[in-house]
Amino acid sequence: MTVVPTQQTGGGGGSSGLYDVLELVLDRGLVIDAFVRVSLVGIEILKIDIRVVVASVDTYLRFAEACNRLDLEAGPRRTPGLPDLVGEITESGVRGKSKGALTGAAQTISDASKRDAGQGQRRPPKAAPGRMKREEEE
Amino acid sequence: MSTYVYGIAAASHPALPKDVAGVGDPPRPVRILKEGELAAIVSDTPGGLRPKRRDLLAHQNVLSEAGAGGPVLPMRFDSIALDDDAVVQVLHERTEHYLERLTALEGRVEYNVKASHDQEAVLQRVVMENPELRALVEAGRKADGGDYQDRLRLGEMVAAAVQSREEEDAAELQSVLEPAAEAVSTGPESTGWLANLSFLVPQDSAEEFLAAVERVPRKHPHLNVRVNGPLPPYSFVEPGPAGPAASTTNTATDEE
Repeated sequence: MTVVPTQQTGGGGGSSGLYDVLELVLDRGLVIDAFVRVSLVGIEILKIDIRVVVASVDTYLRFAEACNRLDLEAGPRRTPGLPDLVGEITESGVRGKSKGALTGAAQTISDASKRDAGQGQRRPPKAAPGRMKREEEE
Repeated sequence: MSTYVYGIAAASHPALPKDVAGVGDPPRPVRILKEGELAAIVSDTPGGLRPKRRDLLAHQNVLSEAGAGGPVLPMRFDSIALDDDAVVQVLHERTEHYLERLTALEGRVEYNVKASHDQEAVLQRVVMENPELRALVEAGRKADGGDYQDRLRLGEMVAAAVQSREEEDAAELQSVLEPAAEAVSTGPESTGWLANLSFLVPQDSAEEFLAAVERVPRKHPHLNVRVNGPLPPYSFVEPGPAGPAASTTNTATDEE
């Protein structure tokens, strides 16, 4: 369901670059009615409604479990900022640095399109009985 | 042979791309079509064009190279004209409009900022800030996690708290960064981020903008912030005068 691979935020900086601009290249930019666009069937999958994803039994149970692991005595944890990401993507850097990220992105899109085509409709939240059962039996 | 269009620039643009690899395999060479005061950056259209990595990358690279030398109106990926004459015709008919946009965007670049929550940090935060949630978590621990209904109820409340936190943080991010930019455009929602904002920033104040971005996770450690740019101003070109104004994107283009 998640389109953006989360691991891209860590590590060596610019690798998330082109993936993050993908939606700009595909979804924004100038459109001229005299020019046709023929190759983009299935791209709407990028715009998943976040609310549908959050409001699911699976998510609730995951949150509950994560809360049980929290250290309630500790102060807020500091997570490292990402200053090294800032400005990594420059004109000259786009080509080399972003190649890996875009590989993943294109793959994600094609997977998503396939899944969309095969499934037609999103699985409703309650359709995870196996998981719920396991959780119940713990 | 149909014509793939990358972008539109002024004919006086000092560094229009030459011999750059365009879309297709093998890459179709990029060439320039001029009409009056405007120029279109184009190539032949390869057969079977799809939004694959190589071609998306080529589209972006051509625009980055062109954008480095002067203002360019980036086309959306996969804009294809019947032939070169059709491109020239469009330039001719809409010269005034495109010149106006090029002038408005001169010396400006787009930065796209996406933010997401560090999950553990945000859970910590919402639980610590909300006595009711904290009591529920503590009670659940004493009961060894509680039963299924308890956990579901806790999870639902936490999810609601996190979601409202997402909205607050998205608004906060925008209000903190907006003063450092000339315009802002909101991108589509998705599961990967809580905010997806594009900012139009004058090139000579880019450093200030980036500094403002850097300050965000320092002040809000539960936020992961990613910035991409400088980019061609994808989010700040409007549709053509007769174009499909009702884009599916939730775009707030700034009129200057």
